[in-house]
Amino acid sequence: MKRRLSVLVGGAAAAALLSSPAVLNDYWLRVATGVLLWVAMAEALNLILGLAGYPAFGNGVFLGLGAYTTAVLMNAGWGFWPALAGAAVLAFAFATLIGLPVLRLRGHYFAIATIGVNFALLALVQNLGLTGGGSGLSVPLFPGTAHQLTLFFFYAFAALALASIVLFIWVRRSALGYALRAIQASEEAARVMGINTTRFKVTAWALSALVTGIAGGLYAYWNGFIIPENAFDIVNSVVLFIMVLLGGAGTVFGPVVGAAGLELVSEFLWSRMGTLHLAVLGLVILLVGILIPRGLIQRGGLRPGSVPRRAVPGTAVPVKRGG
Amino acid sequence: MSFLQQVINGILLGGVYGLASAGFALVWGVMNEINIAHAAFIVIGAYASYFLAAGLHLDPLASIPLAMAAAFALAYPTQRYLLNRALPHGLVITLATTFGLNLLIENVVRTLWSSNFRSITPSYVASGIHLGPLLVPLLPLAVFVLALTFVGGMYVFLERTWLGLAIRAAALNRQAAGIVGIPVPVLYAFTFALGSSLGAAAGTMIGTLQSVYPGMGDAFLTKIFVITALGGFGSVPGALAGSLILALIEVMTATYLNPNIVDFVAFVLLVMVLVVRPQGLLGKQFYGEETAL
Repeated sequence: MKRRLSVLVGGAAAAALLSSPAVLNDYWLRVATGVLLWVAMAEALNLILGLAGYPAFGNGVFLGLGAYTTAVLMNAGWGFWPALAGAAVLAFAFATLIGLPVLRLRGHYFAIATIGVNFALLALVQNLGLTGGGSGLSVPLFPGTAHQLTLFFFYAFAALALASIVLFIWVRRSALGYALRAIQASEEAARVMGINTTRFKVTAWALSALVTGIAGGLYAYWNGFIIPENAFDIVNSVVLFIMVLLGGAGTVFGPVVGAAGLELVSEFLWSRMGTLHLAVLGLVILLVGILIPRGLIQRGGLRPGSVPRRAVPGTAVPVKRGG
Repeated sequence: MSFLQQVINGILLGGVYGLASAGFALVWGVMNEINIAHAAFIVIGAYASYFLAAGLHLDPLASIPLAMAAAFALAYPTQRYLLNRALPHGLVITLATTFGLNLLIENVVRTLWSSNFRSITPSYVASGIHLGPLLVPLLPLAVFVLALTFVGGMYVFLERTWLGLAIRAAALNRQAAGIVGIPVPVLYAFTFALGSSLGAAAGTMIGTLQSVYPGMGDAFLTKIFVITALGGFGSVPGALAGSLILALIEVMTATYLNPNIVDFVAFVLLVMVLVVRPQGLLGKQFYGEETAL
């Protein structure tokens, strides 16, 4: 009964979302597009943070990777869609490759390693000729009017956000999801039960990277110009993380609420107070950490609060694994 | 420049890094809190130094106690009444919370005094000591001596005083420390304020070596992360050792390979050290690992 209700509400929300261009003007469509970008990425982060309980603090790196892959491929003459597919594949492959060693680390060691990966890629992109270095890279223009552009990216990000939510629901109900929750509850126990923990963790992070990479590709094409300091900004990573915590890690709609709430607040502050908006955003993050560290939406049984709690020292001993 | 000169430059740069990372390592080691806002306290120290030099013609060395006092006064209530509440939720939550604090302070500074680059130039900025063909620049040497003094002083404080003993007890076992009457939340606030004032002291000196601007702390914080990974998370002596290692690697990379890849090398090193030896190159954790309020 409860499930049928949430499917109904979810379907109605999706229908309302897809028909919203009929009532919203271009400004609000752009705001909504920004919200959808964050929703897609937050729900993707939820796969690794909410289900497996691994605090991926540097997930914004896949936004940058996707953005730069798309831009470089389009500048090499690829069409947008093939370039976007390339971005998705590269983000997936990169997360798999990095995940194999890094996902052996627990708790804050993993969190710091992902921050390191974020900064390493920023430093690399700032100095590669291929990526235009620190001066940035322009992306071929979207063919069409400004209104068409707004509509195109609204629908593109809406589709990605919905796909990200559906992916999360599907993963959570699949064998992968059960394995991930077993890993969050007790990784040793999961391994003893015969779960190939490495494979499941890496798969979850790679899927998370895939969605975030696609978001990055769309972001690059939407903006038309990217610079390393924005595409790989560590602030993106942290804001993303806070969005999931704020809404409630491990729940379906927590990241949606968190992403929409924080992005709307951020947009509102940006339009009202210019440079001071980052200071207020900082204050909001500070207060979230102090007042609602376990998120707005919580679920019985899943214990979303156990995500940050698992990083409590003493439990956060890095595990050396044989083989 | 000769290899030996590069070694001297590396060691002196290591002193700057050591001064910048000692307070960060202290806070991490004692209460298991990754204080991203350490960057903001470096910025506060640098701006204090700049305004005291520009307004009162005060020497950066003389502005250190003032900058430290200001940082202490700001940091103590912040930990006592705000951050102590985030501690029980684990290290990742404190990481996020102090990130918010950092964003707040840094952008208040940006709003008050703009993003313009400023510089502090004491009269002896270009002087140095010549040792045959080698040159030891005076300012970095002063910073190096300061770093050794502060780290040494902190060691004596932690090992030889009652307050230091209480802090170590709180770090080892918070509950037991509370049972024997140690006011742990107060000690955490004190430790945070001490670490932050060390960051401010570093800021006053860093301001003489490079430009002063709101984002300067963030640039240092990324290096501090690498340093603490190298030296062992939360270890103050380890931070000094990690600083020397990173500085030497940076100087050598810049001289013999390519100055553009210095940061990349540093972060790849960070990830590699984490994967191979998560407890840091130089051994184990500082004092305790348990933290709960």
